[in-house]
Amino acid sequence: MSKILLSKLLGLILSLSIIFFGLESSYSTLLFLIIMLTIGIPHGSVDHIVAFINPKARRFKSKFIFYLVYLSLIIANTILWIISPFIGLALFLVISCYHFGETQVIGFHNTSNKLLNFVVGANILLSLFLNNIIELQGILNVIPFFSEFDLSNFNRVFFLLVSVSVLMISVINFDIKRKVPLYAEITILYMIFYHTDLLTSFAIYFGFCHSLPMLILEFEEFNEKNIIKFYLKTLPFTILSLIFGLLLYIYDSNLFTNDNVILFIFIIISSLTLPHVFIMKDFVKDK
Amino acid sequence: MLNFIFDAASVEPGDFTGFTFFIGSVSMLAATVWFLMQHGQVDKKFKDSMLVAALITGIAAVHYFYMREQWVLTQTSPTELRYIDWILTVPLMVVEFALLTGVGMRKLFWLSVVMLVTGYFGESGIVGGEAWMWGLFSGAAYFLMAYEVGCLSLFGGPSGAVGNALNKGGGKIADGGRMLQWFVLVGWAIYPLGYMMGTDAGQWYEGMSSIPLDMNVVYNIGDAINKIGFGMAVWYAAKG
Repeated sequence: MSKILLSKLLGLILSLSIIFFGLESSYSTLLFLIIMLTIGIPHGSVDHIVAFINPKARRFKSKFIFYLVYLSLIIANTILWIISPFIGLALFLVISCYHFGETQVIGFHNTSNKLLNFVVGANILLSLFLNNIIELQGILNVIPFFSEFDLSNFNRVFFLLVSVSVLMISVINFDIKRKVPLYAEITILYMIFYHTDLLTSFAIYFGFCHSLPMLILEFEEFNEKNIIKFYLKTLPFTILSLIFGLLLYIYDSNLFTNDNVILFIFIIISSLTLPHVFIMKDFVKDK
Repeated sequence: MLNFIFDAASVEPGDFTGFTFFIGSVSMLAATVWFLMQHGQVDKKFKDSMLVAALITGIAAVHYFYMREQWVLTQTSPTELRYIDWILTVPLMVVEFALLTGVGMRKLFWLSVVMLVTGYFGESGIVGGEAWMWGLFSGAAYFLMAYEVGCLSLFGGPSGAVGNALNKGGGKIADGGRMLQWFVLVGWAIYPLGYMMGTDAGQWYEGMSSIPLDMNVVYNIGDAINKIGFGMAVWYAAKG
């Protein structure tokens, strides 16, 4: 069994345990933070190595230029969120759709079809949001037209049906080598999205279907023999990311969020994701 | 939140409907384990088929645990959970045909989208319109699917591309295919019946809901036969 499949199975077992044992929603923030800190952020914390280790990767002339570009993108994205949360969110969604889709199709098709990558990622995010849309409406109160939209006439079955229909239409209209397994895997995700809350859904998807498989690919690419040694390499930038989040919170805890912790976390993820996507785009080219 | 491992409510003696929910959940779980075990035994080209068969019963097992819980605690029909299960598993059953025959799933997927969406519109009433009209659309999509997979060919009638490929399949594919065609023709036909019983108010088929038959029992038996049987038919074709 491939290590990537094993990673996804781990996520499935965890999510089924959450569904079966009836984990209280108050634990979802804790679960989210644990997964983000141990898998989510570390998978992007070796970007500074990935950018130089892959011969086909975007060529930065020096480490200095790499850091300059990388940090500038993080800062620019954070400022964008301050100026316009709507544009910040839109940019995050567009980029995430591509990035999530690109890594999701690995093992089912090559990553060269950019439209397919985008559509697969868009399907996953669409389902994640539609299945938790009421919760999302509460979180995104900084976007007035969405928060005021009346959703009371629709029930959750309707949103699941929309997600599955869009997925079916997407899958049949693309030339994918392993169409059925891809469809089947995303179906399991949809079931998890329906039965768990937004944070848990995102944590499970992001942790076990996206970040852990990428961490495994990075580990293999690095040719490291010791996984602990590899993991230690992710620590400096994971800690720096935490400090970045902390500084942002100390700067003004109400500026973006009106005490909305989830939105605050989304802003941090969005800012860290933007430069990471460009590095990963080259990394997964031949995967 | 429901907790059916440590705090699961027990089915009361004499609660036959609750018992069928219980049987449904454990049989789906057992079938999932069986299909996963067989996944390693079949030829490489059938591995995806076995995995999908396990997935269908696995998803159903999760929802049957939920449904049993709701039934035991509230004695109300778990319609929403049932629909979630169907929305996720029906397209996967459709996929089995594509996997067995190699014929593209475009037509069957489109038809299953129409069948599910219109069926839901009719049951939920969220977009207005008469339930019989939505039921007609949904039923027409079901009929076209039955034609496409060759159900009519069981009686010497015409067949769509998938049915033709099944009938001409080598090994035990043709036998397995015939079982699948029977499942679609007979097994799936109970769902329109359930639809009519659930939406009969003010319709030309009013009175259907007064039939002295618990639809949950019919659905539970139907689901178990269709989902597990579907997987068994695929396994039968695969092991040949």
